[in-house]
Amino acid sequence: MSVAGTKKGISRKKKEAQLAWTLISPTALIVFGLVIFPAIFSVWVSFHDVGLDNLNDVFHAPFVGFENYREVINDYAFKFQGLDNWGAAVTTIVYSFASTTMAVLVGLIASLLLNRPFKGRGIARAIFLFPYVAPIVSIAFVWRWILDPRPSGVVNDILMSLNLIDLPKAYLATRGLALAIVILLDAWRYFPFCMLMILARLQAIDNTLYEAAKVDGANAVQQFFAITLPELRYVLGATFLLRLMWTFNKFDDIFLYTGGGFGTKVLPVLTYEFSFKLYDFGRGAATAMILLAILVLFMTLYVSVVMKNVED
Amino acid sequence: MKNEKKNLIGHLADWINWKRFLFSVLLIFFLTSIIFPFYWMVSSSFKTRAEIGGREPVYIPGGLRLDAYRELFDPNHPSYQNFGRNILNTLKVSIPTSIIAVILAVLGSYAIARFQFKGKNILLNGILMVYLFPGVLLIIPLFAMLAKIGDALGFRVQDNLGVLVFTYLSQTLPVALYMLTNYFRTIPDEIEQAALIDGCNRLEVIWRVTLPLSIPALISVGIYTFMIAWNEFLYALIFLNERDMFTMPIKINTIFNDPTPRPNVVMAASTIMTVPIIILFLSLEKYLAEGLTAGGVKG
Repeated sequence: MSVAGTKKGISRKKKEAQLAWTLISPTALIVFGLVIFPAIFSVWVSFHDVGLDNLNDVFHAPFVGFENYREVINDYAFKFQGLDNWGAAVTTIVYSFASTTMAVLVGLIASLLLNRPFKGRGIARAIFLFPYVAPIVSIAFVWRWILDPRPSGVVNDILMSLNLIDLPKAYLATRGLALAIVILLDAWRYFPFCMLMILARLQAIDNTLYEAAKVDGANAVQQFFAITLPELRYVLGATFLLRLMWTFNKFDDIFLYTGGGFGTKVLPVLTYEFSFKLYDFGRGAATAMILLAILVLFMTLYVSVVMKNVED
Repeated sequence: MKNEKKNLIGHLADWINWKRFLFSVLLIFFLTSIIFPFYWMVSSSFKTRAEIGGREPVYIPGGLRLDAYRELFDPNHPSYQNFGRNILNTLKVSIPTSIIAVILAVLGSYAIARFQFKGKNILLNGILMVYLFPGVLLIIPLFAMLAKIGDALGFRVQDNLGVLVFTYLSQTLPVALYMLTNYFRTIPDEIEQAALIDGCNRLEVIWRVTLPLSIPALISVGIYTFMIAWNEFLYALIFLNERDMFTMPIKINTIFNDPTPRPNVVMAASTIMTVPIIILFLSLEKYLAEGLTAGGVKG
């Protein structure tokens, strides 16, 4: 009886594994064909000379070793040229870290605001999510229109009537200022994601901790640093990591805000330009691989140093 | 010297007010900085050319002037944009993307959540790779691959909305799989076991038990994948060249880059693209907010 039972169990297990593969095969095929294979293929492309002319015969493209990488690293747009021209590598790092940090900080403030009960909190929470939900194309062009360099631009009009500036400024077309504005705009757009992550954790903090602190006479600021912040450390770290990863790879935002000009050229935009403006796909792939390498380096550092401390 | 007159309660009241004051100031700051751009988008779309091009910004348009919308939709307008076509293209891309992603993800994530099988970990890691890989990295090999396949099978890669749907699956399917797998894991196995003992086979169990229990998750996954395709910019920019094939984001970008700037038209097109998404989001906010943190949207 028991033998028959296990036999039956085994054949059922086999059947289930078979069914599992049937269910998952279309997905597996697409994930393999559209993600895993292209990812590996792009490593291959980065070592070959691939252009528009041999795109149809890509597997016979000549092998060029590290030539593409050498070209990228020596490219004027990539290299750090001094403080007034950072190059795409340094710009990417500064942009990603600054906008991620700001988004997490603003998200923290927003989540603390929404963690207090008040009338209309549900509506406020929904509105707070708008910047993240709305299409980036619309968002980018509204901000470009608000930051219009003519005196009729809203920001120019307000700052000039407050006498803070004398002449209208071209916010997204001035070196330095453009990068700072893009970082601010990205913090505006992506803080809601951080807010939701932090809010979920905030609402899970045991209320008795605060009651005990109140009995001990701790004020709101002391409570924040003694209870809230330590409880949030893990979620803050994880949110930072996720956002950093996504910001590193961001193309749309900078491309739409500035087109990569005025000191805002990041590696994804450079990858696009090499591949689809110069049609040098090998060099584009090499740029993307360098981007990936920098990202993996930072993530490893971050996980092994920062997140480890958090767990301790 | 006023402070001296106050008693203890007065001070306490002041302290509470100070806290409330800070809270309200911050809340108002957040709300205005969020709402103003949206107000500016919608209000600018109703402005006339004169109101847009004046020396000073017009904060409240003189009336609901439809000049900008006429340029988008009225064939008699001198610079008619045929925007209806672009809306249709976007729908033609985002609805199939969303439906295909949900159907495939239901099958796939059910298998991942319920069964043990060889190669499962490779597959899961492959899915996670999408979260790590820049879209701009995948587009190069995808473009080269599809150019070759298209050449062999005789279909056009550029200006082919079907190809675009196919490439969007690389963005949406992993997200859908990830979300649905997490959801299926929360459905207790016992319910399904009971149905199996009652003589249903697995597919019947999925159809009769699991899916009815997952309707909220299916809706939110469907809307997320729809939104990803609706908003997508980079792949559409690369794969579409003809104005008639443009999706909305690419069309808006084109109107913006027109030599004669017409911000009211850009804002009208942006309004048309944004309002449905905001309405969709608001009407299903309860389900969607959770999905956002569950890795729902990459970006």
